[in-house]
This record gives sequence, structure tokens and C-alpha cells, in this order.
Amino acid sequence: MQADLDKYKLTVIALSKDTVDEAAIHKERDQLKMTLLSDEKLKVIKQYGLEHHKAFGFNTGRFKMFGIPLALRPSFKAMAIPTSLIIDEKGVIKWIDQTDDYRLRSSEERILEAVKAVFK
Amino acid sequence: MDLTAMSISVVSFVVVMGALVSYLSTIPSGKVPVRPMGLVFFLSLGVLLAITSIVWNYQFSLSPHVVVVFPAFFAICMGTFFLWVLTQPKTPLGDLKIKIGDHLLPFEVKTSEGKQFLSNDLMGKRTLFKFFRGGW
Repeated sequence: MQADLDKYKLTVIALSKDTVDEAAIHKERDQLKMTLLSDEKLKVIKQYGLEHHKAFGFNTGRFKMFGIPLALRPSFKAMAIPTSLIIDEKGVIKWIDQTDDYRLRSSEERILEAVKAVFK
Repeated sequence: MDLTAMSISVVSFVVVMGALVSYLSTIPSGKVPVRPMGLVFFLSLGVLLAITSIVWNYQFSLSPHVVVVFPAFFAICMGTFFLWVLTQPKTPLGDLKIKIGDHLLPFEVKTSEGKQFLSNDLMGKRTLFKFFRGGW
């Protein structure tokens, strides 16, 4: 996926409610290359209208078991609704993809299709 | 302690945990099933086996044995909880403050390195901007 995105010169950023430290652990643990942004107080998430109140989630740390981050302390809390935006050079939003089922994410194929359509 | 009850109890625990682990392992690769029927089936099976093991145990002895009750109790709690979670999949939408053609709303946050990041930094770049639920 990264190679395809590079072809279209796409920068990837990902924002969540994780603190700076949690984001740093996540980036290192899953060896992510993209920029992770920390929106601990959900300022940006609320600004964009993407808050999912009382969503069920786990807190995870550094450790993995069977390739899955070891889930600790399950809790209900506010977090972002999984959403993907494609933004052009002028800062204009070209594509929005949101899931109505929080278990599911934008698929790679759908993102690539949209990227190809936006930046022909 | 009855060996059959103990075995069923342990199997119920393994079935529930196995179902959860195999389901969760689809998340990192983005291959989460749209309709997780396998998960529902194995969670239900695990819960039923757990109940069976407890009932079975009572046939032979009125005092529940920890080796029977503990795995079964755990399987019932985890199983029913995640079955309940699966009935709540809809994300409440309809609050979206942006639409296609809009400019990015200005923001200022920190990166995972603790550096300041402004929405203006994205100017002149094509960006895939993802909102996600956090590192898990």
C-alpha cells in the first residue's frame, strides 16, 4: 500500500485520542512509518464532528501475544470514528470515507481507488 | 471432581479464547469479516459448553470444583460480553462537520515525537488523513 501511495506522492497522517507517549509506543510497536498525531483532549476529533461517545476499546501497551497487541484495561470512552480523508495540495477535502460499523475500516482497495480518481 | 466436567470446562475456555484471538488477529491486516458468523458461532458454542460443564459437575457433586468453575465462569463472562458487544456495531454518525470541497479545518496538535504539528504543514502536499481509534 505504501508503495502505491508513494507513487501518488501521498503523505499519510493518522490522528487518534492517544497521548503522545501512547502514540510513540504504538508507532514503535507496529513499526509504522506514517506520522501519528496525538489529540488527547479530542479537540480536533470534535472539531471535525468525529467523536464516538462511549466506544468500547482496550488500552494496549508495548507487548504483543500471538501477533496481537496485548489488550489490557478494557473500557468505554470517547474516541474517533474511523474516518479517512483525502486532501489535495491546496488543503481542500476531496474524499471522505466513514464507516457506520466501527469494527470495519476503509479497505486498501477503496482508498487506492479514491486516490486514483482524485489525482488522475 | 468429575474429569468430564473439567474437560468440558477447559474446552469451553479454549473455544472462547481461540475465537477471540483468531477474530482479533484479523484487525491489524484490515481483514475483519463484515459478518463475523464464525466468531458468533464459537462464542455461543463456548458459552454453551461452559454451562454444560457446570451442570455436569452438579450431577456428581454439589460442591463446585474450582478447576471446573473457573474456566467455565471465565468463558461465560467473556463469551456473553463479546456477543453483546457484537450487537452494538453501529457507530453513531451524522455529526460530521466537513464535506467534500471544504478546506481543512485549522488545527494544532502534537506528533508522537512530541513535536508541534499544524494543519498548515500539510499545504502543498497531497495527504491521506486518517482518524483512528488509537493504538490497539
